Amino acid sequence: MAQSAGDRVVQMLALITYLDAHPGVPVEQVAEHFGISTGRVLQDVSTLWVSGTPGYLPDDLIDFSADDRERNILTLTQARGMNRPLRLGAQEAVALLTALRSLQVTPGLATDPVLTSAMDKLTEAAGAAARSAQAVQVAGPDDTGEQVAEHLTTVRAAIADQQRLHLRYVSAADVVSERDVDPLQLLTDGTRWLLVGWCYRAQDVRQFRLDRILELTEAGAPAAAHPDVALSADTEPELTEAPWQVRLVLASPARWVAEQYPVTAVQDLEDARFAVDLAVLDLAWLHHLVLGIAEDVLAVEPADVATGIADRARAALEAYRAAGLDDADETDPPPPLG
Amino acid sequence: MADRVPAAERLLDLVIALTHTRHRMTKAEIRASVNGYTDAASDEAFDRMFERDKDQLRALGLPVVTLTDSAHEDDVGYRIDTAEYELPPVEFTPAEIGVLSLAAQVWQDSSFAADSRRGLTKLRAVSDAADPGRFAGLSLRVRGPDAAFADLLEAIEDRITVRFTYRAASTGSTEARTVQPWRLFAKDRGWYLVGYDMAREGKRQFRLSRIVGRVRRVGRPGEVQIPESSQTEPAESEPTVVRLAVAPERASALRARGEPAPGEDGIDGRETYRLETADTERLAEELAGYGDAVVVLDPPELRAAVLRRLRAAATLGGEG
Repeated sequence: MAQSAGDRVVQMLALITYLDAHPGVPVEQVAEHFGISTGRVLQDVSTLWVSGTPGYLPDDLIDFSADDRERNILTLTQARGMNRPLRLGAQEAVALLTALRSLQVTPGLATDPVLTSAMDKLTEAAGAAARSAQAVQVAGPDDTGEQVAEHLTTVRAAIADQQRLHLRYVSAADVVSERDVDPLQLLTDGTRWLLVGWCYRAQDVRQFRLDRILELTEAGAPAAAHPDVALSADTEPELTEAPWQVRLVLASPARWVAEQYPVTAVQDLEDARFAVDLAVLDLAWLHHLVLGIAEDVLAVEPADVATGIADRARAALEAYRAAGLDDADETDPPPPLG
Repeated sequence: MADRVPAAERLLDLVIALTHTRHRMTKAEIRASVNGYTDAASDEAFDRMFERDKDQLRALGLPVVTLTDSAHEDDVGYRIDTAEYELPPVEFTPAEIGVLSLAAQVWQDSSFAADSRRGLTKLRAVSDAADPGRFAGLSLRVRGPDAAFADLLEAIEDRITVRFTYRAASTGSTEARTVQPWRLFAKDRGWYLVGYDMAREGKRQFRLSRIVGRVRRVGRPGEVQIPESSQTEPAESEPTVVRLAVAPERASALRARGEPAPGEDGIDGRETYRLETADTERLAEELAGYGDAVVVLDPPELRAAVLRRLRAAATLGGEG
């Protein structure tokens, strides 16, 4: 992760503040505390060591105990008055407070006491910088449903207590399966929730959408440790192995597709139409997407994918016709945004 | 990265110098004595470097104050007030700093990501080790706001009208909009501005990703009256009750969200389910995706919305 010069200055000043209050801390502990590598801590310490007031003679410089440093322990012996903690900038306060609010709209967390007290203290400490955050709001997802909220509680408890879960799950292709899963992580992109876990059936790490979990119980066994599993921080699936490359030509109202899905290319066409290239892991997912926004889909390539979608649509229309329900009045769609 | 390390060292030495100066430092003094400025190739190079550094320090929460000598007005000097930049006393518990660490990881791909990480670093400096506690394993990843966010937030703060080019969703064409900005909100992975559209004389919302180019300030600061609103945008509406006829063993995720509700209007060979939705259009999108597994019994508006989609999709194969 690239670190700007400004970020590094803040990190170095934070080190002085922290080390001034905590003399004799091992390098590893400092690195862990700030969530950075030991190499970066040592690099910052080296820079601090030669920094100081103009003149830059020995008495002007920030100083550390060299003996301790050799034992991989950090002891600040001269802070040159730079140990005052830095106040938050307006952007920093807004970014953190908005993130806390995003957590707060999570089912089950609205009244979480730790979240609430962290928010109150942060608002207080940020002072004027927190004021503009009042103009920023975060809405929770619609239609989350009570069941997702219940699942969230169960999964969080299972992660905390390291308990294996048993779930009945329905895939995007509408196939139901029963699985034992060691829960590792709960991910959300603010719209959907995903349980990431070791699936015994697949013998691999899998993501499960909480709104597709039909039943969720503790399996009655402790979860095994999975130290080799590298957790991705990303809610988008890995697309490198996607078997289908699909091109959709869309009318302008569907522009959100390019904004919300990991499209590999977007091309603007005439009359405000545009084309997106999608790497598709699962055709069932694509069928759902295209049928849902079909009024704004002008073309689908390749042709066999398009035919598959049209066949599904015709089968559905036939079901409505058979039930005598295909004569519903055409009504106008709701007025668009903006 | 090669040229960034010296920049960080120069900034640090500038901070130390400006906090230690008795009264103030002039540009000439800074150039002559602060590590990193002495090798500026020309006056212009030094000025550019110093102006950029000064702006950057202000953005980091280190206010560089400009002081003019009363006798010589051209003679500008600078200092940093340590009292001004100090974080007020605050004590976070290990659980609270744990939740803040979680919060700092929320933002993806935007300036919010770097801002929240930097804010967290400042808070960690005055805190003990974090304990994720009950938040262990929880991970929220939200796309951060688009480029226009910072300018809009500042305009809201200053209560000033803005003008920007906006791409209409319905037609794709762009046009200039003049808006009194009220609030910003995040919903469904998108960021929106709510405000009063001057030309349309009404409240409108704008998706930030459809704002093209820069947001310009027009009018005077302080002129925008922001109406009080405690509710989250957009206003919650009454849920609509929906009845669906579901094919056996199909659409299990929908069944799980609703409850069985047999009735006289059911379809032979299908089971009837009842569920509620706050957003019919969105549910129509989802239901169309289920194809022949789900038939909408009620309400007719929802059925019409699904049928519109299915009829459109039926023409995609080329055989119409």
